[in-house]
Amino acid sequence: MSAGATRIWPLRRPRLGLRWARRSAQVSALLLFFYLAVVAVVPLPSALPVDLFFRIDPLLALAASLAGRAVVPTLVWAVPVAVSAVVLGRAFCGWLCPLGTTLDLARWLHILPNSQPERRQNHPRLRPLRQVLLGLLLLGALFGVLLLAALDPITLYLRAITTAFLPGLNRGLTAALVTLFQAGVAPDAVARLDELLRPAIIPTQQISYRFGILFFSLFLGVIALDAIAPRFWCRYICPLGALLGLGARLAPLRLRVAPTCDRCGHCLASCKMAAIAPKSLHADPADCVECFDCVAECPRQAISVAFVAPMGLAESRYSPSRRRFLVGAGLGIAGVAVLRTDATSVGADEYLIRPPGARADFVQRCVRCSECVKVCPTGALQPSGLEGGWEALWSPVLTPRIGQCDYACNACGRVCPTGAIQPLSLADKRQTVIGTAYIDESRCIPWADQKPCIVCEEMCPVPRKAIVLDAIQVTDKQGVSLTVKRPRVERERCIGCGICETRCPLPRQSAIRVYAPAASPRERDASS
Amino acid sequence: MGEIKPTGGKLSRRVVVAGIGAAGVGLVVPLLAGCQATPTPSQVPAAPESKLAPPTASTAASTSEPAKPAAQPASAPSELPATTPTQAPTQPTATTSAQATPRPVVKVAGAADLVIVRGTNPADITRAAVEALGGMAAFIAKGSTIVVKPNICTDMAPEYAATTNPEVVATLIKMCKEAGAAKVKVLDYGWGSQQTNYKGSGIEDAVVAAGGEMVKISPVKWKMTKIPNGKLVKATEIYDDILTADAIINVPIAKQHNLTQLTLGMKNLMGTIHYREGFHGDIGQSVSDLSLVVRPTLTVLDAVRILTRNGPGGGYLEDVKRLDTVVASADVVAVDAYATSFFGMKPEDLQTIRAGQANGLGTADLSKLKVAEVKRG
Repeated sequence: MSAGATRIWPLRRPRLGLRWARRSAQVSALLLFFYLAVVAVVPLPSALPVDLFFRIDPLLALAASLAGRAVVPTLVWAVPVAVSAVVLGRAFCGWLCPLGTTLDLARWLHILPNSQPERRQNHPRLRPLRQVLLGLLLLGALFGVLLLAALDPITLYLRAITTAFLPGLNRGLTAALVTLFQAGVAPDAVARLDELLRPAIIPTQQISYRFGILFFSLFLGVIALDAIAPRFWCRYICPLGALLGLGARLAPLRLRVAPTCDRCGHCLASCKMAAIAPKSLHADPADCVECFDCVAECPRQAISVAFVAPMGLAESRYSPSRRRFLVGAGLGIAGVAVLRTDATSVGADEYLIRPPGARADFVQRCVRCSECVKVCPTGALQPSGLEGGWEALWSPVLTPRIGQCDYACNACGRVCPTGAIQPLSLADKRQTVIGTAYIDESRCIPWADQKPCIVCEEMCPVPRKAIVLDAIQVTDKQGVSLTVKRPRVERERCIGCGICETRCPLPRQSAIRVYAPAASPRERDASS
Repeated sequence: MGEIKPTGGKLSRRVVVAGIGAAGVGLVVPLLAGCQATPTPSQVPAAPESKLAPPTASTAASTSEPAKPAAQPASAPSELPATTPTQAPTQPTATTSAQATPRPVVKVAGAADLVIVRGTNPADITRAAVEALGGMAAFIAKGSTIVVKPNICTDMAPEYAATTNPEVVATLIKMCKEAGAAKVKVLDYGWGSQQTNYKGSGIEDAVVAAGGEMVKISPVKWKMTKIPNGKLVKATEIYDDILTADAIINVPIAKQHNLTQLTLGMKNLMGTIHYREGFHGDIGQSVSDLSLVVRPTLTVLDAVRILTRNGPGGGYLEDVKRLDTVVASADVVAVDAYATSFFGMKPEDLQTIRAGQANGLGTADLSKLKVAEVKRG
């Protein structure tokens, strides 16, 4: 591969049209992805579904359908991409995937010290990794565990945007604007700029998210892997790429090398996926992302794109032995079993409050896309820790001390791509019980200190307030008789929105807390 | 992506870019460190002391400053020097001691001090009330920026009497415009989602139709403001648009309140501050302290419908009583004092009114005032 030395300039009339088409598609898709992430706020735009990229993701549709034992309603959106894989190969990876585009951009900007031709080598031992991850993901899904959907590139990207990029941007910009405004530096201009930014680009509220640093680091890690090889993630890890690669072996779209090829090696050097076998110059369709850089770079224009008939299974470098396959499957099943034996999965946390409309088999449908977390206007929905066990890790959980389930909002159900949170009308959502509030009488101000406080009652949004105040005659520590209004929860009216817990003025823990509904018989069975 | 190039010049650029990138990450990560959720409550207690130079009472009282004399054409003491019960001893100046003095209540020669107008058309009685006080032009100057401050604490329709009647608000905006106001802003920092409240209360639509402008509260524009004469609250964060307004028109709705008994004119000003948690100790005193710096030029109390129980949030139509009344005055204490009668109470029953009078904000003794009662169709 002495590619660099043998560039023959006069012969090089690269066909750049396809390449520019591809680059335009990549940038447009990335911009659309960011746009949809930014506008995923209440009120939701009506023109485009903000979860578009999740809907068109066949891996998520397949995994959620397997795990939920039912075809997810948005599966139909994923059909075009699935079909594209069978016809065009991994074109999604090369043309549309926001993460893939970001990796290309990072390389183009020379953020990382890579791009040397000699580093474009294949890592044959790593090749099976993505297939193994895909297998484990789908196997887990078959057993109702969707944890590995967190490795889907779109979920990985949006989680970082939701929990780190945008909150970080919000904090940075707000701090800068507040500093300027308070210092009296062009306050009118600052106020005007703030009006432009909010709520169009950054939300009015500054919301903090759990695991923000972790998701940010995971994202940076994926970028950093490019230092080892270009598109390292796409080559060796991405389970979505692996799935599309399986379909790609059927694709009639192939690269053909004409006899005019003088084996200069430009194509090998230009291939970011190292998809081309050095000897045969055969591009493995399971790896090729149809970027057509090789077509553009070939000095002799020897490479052409063609639909080849008859269709058949293309040769691929990855073919696991039966033994390996069985061992992998066995390990996967063992993994599921181990997840289920972890103490965290026995008896869900009493504060594990799910979003309104969450299905009974919520964890078997949630792909951790974080779209509901993104859209939740109060920050109430947060990626869970181990409240629901390992298999529910990073699924959304209502965290009232950070924010309440807004009585006027039903956005989470409307953006859930898999229907794990069912879309509810506002009227239905307002009657959906997600938990029940209980007062800690040993800490509540009127109960424990005999001092007035009505915040929880004041905030309670249901038509017949679920918190009532009882005027009680008491004798204080000095022996003086006085009347205090003590809050009490009328449980049958409480929907568990948690605003009482959000606003309770006590420091640290609230004196009123929302508890998760009693476990269903099935859950009780599972934990006994 | 011309990777096959000599590396000599390239390397340095790459190093520079990597350096910038590393520095960027170094800057971003500490910021992101703040993104980690903590189990601590979201409430932050109000800082007791300002770290900033106070824009303060002098800003709030700017309507009395010589720079804007037209803002209060009728406030010249020569017009009614001896008969003004709430007249402050000295005319405010730019000195510190004057800042600490409550701004005098605007008196209009020949007009009533306190008017109560009854009638079935909210727009009509609002207009009649302001006219009886001497007309809007007596209170605001041409070209000025006015903030109209209704109660928009929740998103319920006007029928629930939890928020100010939109027609009352819209009429005041129109009157400000007619009197030559350059800009009329409407704001309230209530609980819950501001967007939802503005919309659901019907106030946003009415305000926009009347030519006013809804202020979307921004986290940038809070200003720590000292309250020099405050007995309990010495400083709090107040929204900048309130501090820089030439005049504030306070448009509360009369409601029962489970903590302050009633929420009327002074209590309505709570919607101009950032951290209300700090106010819940002695809320009456706190609210009257706040009124020292957030001084409404005019208070128009909406009693078209009042909420008699389960306030301030309401939610029950059976708690709503239709009175078809507005009460207006330049003296917020007098308005509040009169409004207690709607609930079968006396002015002295309300800590807010007692504290407000002690703070020199106005008078609760209605016998000292020229009270006009008007009946409209």
